[in-house]
Amino acid sequence: MRLSFVSFAWRNVWRRRLRTALTLCGIGMGIGAFVTLVGFSRSFEHAWLEMYENAGTDLAVVQKTFLNTSVDQSAGDVLRRIPQIEIAAPMVINMMAVTPEVNTLVYGWKADTFEFSALNILQGRRFRDGQQEAMLGELLADSLNKKVGDTIDLQGSTFTVVGIFRSGSALETGAIILPLDEMQNLSSMTGKVTAYHVKLKPAPAGVSQAQWQKEAEDAVEKDLPGLRAVPAAQRAANNQLVLLAHAAAWGTSLIALLVAALGIANTMAMSVFERTKEIGVLRAMGWSRGRVMTLILIEAAALGAAGGGAGVLLGWGALRILGALPQTASIASTTLPVQTLLEGLLMAILVGVLAGSVPAWRGAQLSPVEALRHE
Amino acid sequence: MSSETGRPGVGTAGAGSPWILEVRDVKKSYEGGRIEALRGVSLGVAKGDFLAITGASGSGKSTLLHLLGGLDTPTEGSVLFRGEYLGGASDGAACITLDAYRARFAGFIFQSFHLLPSLNAMENVQVPMLGSGAHHANREEKARALLVELGLEQRLRQYPTQLSAGERQRVAIARALVNEPRVLLADEPTGNLDSVNSAKILELLAQVQERYGTTLIMVTHDLDIAATAHRHVAMRDGRICD
Repeated sequence: MRLSFVSFAWRNVWRRRLRTALTLCGIGMGIGAFVTLVGFSRSFEHAWLEMYENAGTDLAVVQKTFLNTSVDQSAGDVLRRIPQIEIAAPMVINMMAVTPEVNTLVYGWKADTFEFSALNILQGRRFRDGQQEAMLGELLADSLNKKVGDTIDLQGSTFTVVGIFRSGSALETGAIILPLDEMQNLSSMTGKVTAYHVKLKPAPAGVSQAQWQKEAEDAVEKDLPGLRAVPAAQRAANNQLVLLAHAAAWGTSLIALLVAALGIANTMAMSVFERTKEIGVLRAMGWSRGRVMTLILIEAAALGAAGGGAGVLLGWGALRILGALPQTASIASTTLPVQTLLEGLLMAILVGVLAGSVPAWRGAQLSPVEALRHE
Repeated sequence: MSSETGRPGVGTAGAGSPWILEVRDVKKSYEGGRIEALRGVSLGVAKGDFLAITGASGSGKSTLLHLLGGLDTPTEGSVLFRGEYLGGASDGAACITLDAYRARFAGFIFQSFHLLPSLNAMENVQVPMLGSGAHHANREEKARALLVELGLEQRLRQYPTQLSAGERQRVAIARALVNEPRVLLADEPTGNLDSVNSAKILELLAQVQERYGTTLIMVTHDLDIAATAHRHVAMRDGRICD
């Protein structure tokens, strides 16, 4: 390898192979945790967005409270009288155990909801309201080995599988859809729904779609105090499940990154200490403090980049596994999360530079004479 | 042959000075003045001179070499290179930073060679030029030429652990010369060598000094080695004693 400033830095890092490898493991685990957790929470958010977009949902009407889980079903009549609204479909969502190991999202829909338009029924038919019938997403049906005509137990009630469907959203393709009234009974939500999903009429001539939507939102809040109409994209990003997932992912990742940063800081501090005499030699040869500091920072950044690269691969692998496991397949997307991977890599380099800055500064401050005398 | 050369801190430093390097009434103390390594030393070194500084351990000879090489600054007094103050002047007189002086005008040779273990001979010689903007092809060409000149053409890709002590010191000399310094400072350059290699290195240094007109300042405790220099100053208790 031709000698350059960067290759010199990397060779310094690689001189203590075991210590460097252990540090890289630490960084890799931290960044891997970041990519996995944040990637998972983002794919969760993305799946929500896909679900709304595929069904053509414009607004979700929910309670104004943060943990908004319950809307009176009678609100539907008020919504349908609002001139901008074409359809207001009630829905209930919950997480339920289908086996001791597998929890899945369960939706309660009306049999005639517009949201069925986003589903492709592969086997069987749509359920009927008021019947103990269930439709299973393709992924879930595969993992549970269920087909049309089989039964499935939920919360002590037995449902007949009447349809298997495919959906563009991971939240649906690994989920169960029940008749709304049956889902309300299972969830002890008689007369209540989680939200209304609203489809707007086309905006009249001379009115923009954005203005039309805003008018609908204002009308909902005026006619139904206590409720709010949230644009679908915003609902996907800001619903309580997604927010909690993001918060948990970032909180855990930051702790992992902090541990990784401490690992780099320790490695760089040790490295600078061990190479004190060498730093003295470099200073004697005319290297300025800035050049010494740059060298050590590049070493720290190289550690971050190498560990980050490993972490990104680790995280991506973990996301692929989560996307394949029956327990998590309904939430995790298998699409390559390019943004999260790049963020992970950049964060690793940034963590490296920050963690290396104090050792770099201390190394640069060494007096050449004192450094040369160091034993 | 020492030389008393004026007062420290004079603003017109170096005007018409015969010295390439000059120390003026320099004192150096450590630990808040408890240890006095130099107690008022004045010395001039002419361009192309070969000066040996001798003395027992603790006499201050290495401290003086560090000040002459811009590795350290005096507690009192001044060090001048070609009439410019090293490390700055209090009265606005011409000065040169220690980093710039070491990078452009000074080369160091150490008793323990101090080669970087992760780099081979060619790469060690290039280190002073790394990050200075020098093109890699130029760096390699200069390093190769120097190592060949110093008889190491068969050892270019060897790492320090694969070289003999004499070869390591020759690599260190090449490294010290690569930036074409005006002043070469050697701290016990033969201290870790056997007599055969010592003689070779001394001969090499003398050749380099003669061929390039480099000013050579060598610290040694060995009077026989000092006798090979053009000039010789002896130090005792932080002062020049002859």
